[in-house]
Amino acid sequence: MVNEYALFAAYVVVLSLYVNLGIALYGIFARPSLVKKLIAITILSDTANAFAILVGYRWPIGKLPKPPVITELPVTRKVLETYTSTAVDPLPQALVLTAVVIGLAVTLFIAFIIIQYYRLYGTVNIHKVRRR
Amino acid sequence: MLEIFTLTLLTLFAITSVVAAYLAIRERDLVKAVVYSAIQSAMYALIYYVLMAPDIVLVYIPVSVGLIPAVLLFVIKKTERYEGD
Amino acid sequence: MKKADVFVIASIIVFILSLAYITALGGLGPLPPINVRRIAINYLNLTYNTFTPYLTVFALESVTSIVWDFRGLDTLYETAVFYAAIIASIALYRGVYMDFKKNTEKTGLSPIAKTVTRISLILIPTVSASVALHGHLTPGGGFQAGSIATVVIVLSIIIFSRYFLPIHGLSKNKALLFRSIGLLGIAITSIALLLIAIVLGVNAYIFQNQAKIDAPLSFPSLVDNYILGGSLLFFNLFEFIAVAFGFTIVFLLLSISEEKVKKVTMDG
Repeated sequence: MVNEYALFAAYVVVLSLYVNLGIALYGIFARPSLVKKLIAITILSDTANAFAILVGYRWPIGKLPKPPVITELPVTRKVLETYTSTAVDPLPQALVLTAVVIGLAVTLFIAFIIIQYYRLYGTVNIHKVRRR
Repeated sequence: MLEIFTLTLLTLFAITSVVAAYLAIRERDLVKAVVYSAIQSAMYALIYYVLMAPDIVLVYIPVSVGLIPAVLLFVIKKTERYEGD
Repeated sequence: MKKADVFVIASIIVFILSLAYITALGGLGPLPPINVRRIAINYLNLTYNTFTPYLTVFALESVTSIVWDFRGLDTLYETAVFYAAIIASIALYRGVYMDFKKNTEKTGLSPIAKTVTRISLILIPTVSASVALHGHLTPGGGFQAGSIATVVIVLSIIIFSRYFLPIHGLSKNKALLFRSIGLLGIAITSIALLLIAIVLGVNAYIFQNQAKIDAPLSFPSLVDNYILGGSLLFFNLFEFIAVAFGFTIVFLLLSISEEKVKKVTMDG
């Protein structure tokens, strides 16, 4: 069973992720500047990625887990057994890895669209554009 | 002992990331907001390191701490620096 | 505080609380997770397993083997999204040409910053090449190495000037060529065994790495006691080229001065 301190740390981390999610959503919905909205979107994607990694973690009971890399050669049955019983889940890490790079490409595209928006309207403040 | 130290670090990083994200959204000066957002991303990179994801750390340090702030600074230089009401 | 702000904050709080309620009921499994899922144990067990030779990848790193072998088609389509985002960015800048100004000595930051950057112009690509080529043995791979290599491009644009890269031979069109070579390499590696199998008249699958029970062909996994990881080595190398030069194009476009772009995109 997980001891009390580990449980406390887990709750603090999960709570901080939820608070960050709320802050990012507020930034996307309520702030007027498009650049500030883009910053909020990066915070939102960071939070989602961190949640995925957290779900794949193996919470420590007495000993810390290992990263999903085999470090012993030759690979015998005993090595494989210790590896599968101590390594963390590699699947969320693989999904997050591609999501980060694709997220950067999409962020770059949004940045180009914001620059084009500024060329057309002369401002990045959505309230000012609406009043025109 | 090592377990308690690791979990304390994890808690500290999580709380710092919340503070940095709050400041990034509140800040009027967009350049300062980008710096706060980079601090928040660095805290998340450290969280990934503690959560045993070295692959994600390797991709996160250049992307979220280096390239995204660079892109945002380019955008701010070409548009407006201050966020008005 | 305005009335709209109160409404937004209240709806966000309701949304967050309902999400938290779903996870507390067990929507994502037990939190904090004590043990990994069954599918994760299978992935970990099959990463380098000489006892089940028809299911394994023969690479030492589980994350890279999931990215390019177990779930390779996912990554192929994500590469397609990446390709589309870069192409869309280029389309916004159609008709804009980069100019060449020969004198870069006077532009940029101080000589101290330039000298330090000249050292890292060699060091950072070395690190990224090592990360890409050891992706199947240690943490790393094509995506990570490409992002690390792009830092060099941003550094050289900021420290020297935006004319530094085109003068030294890396123009936008050349970067586009290299990126296309990388994408072509990924495409060829994913169907290489299929093409050989058609010639030899045996069975093969798309994205096949090691031999399966009814498909006897496989990429070389062990050459002279060095673990190569089969197709993972080629995929990492080509993805490194595609990502690094794709981001190079975008940063070159971002650095073009605004007056020039405005003249082309607004009038023409």
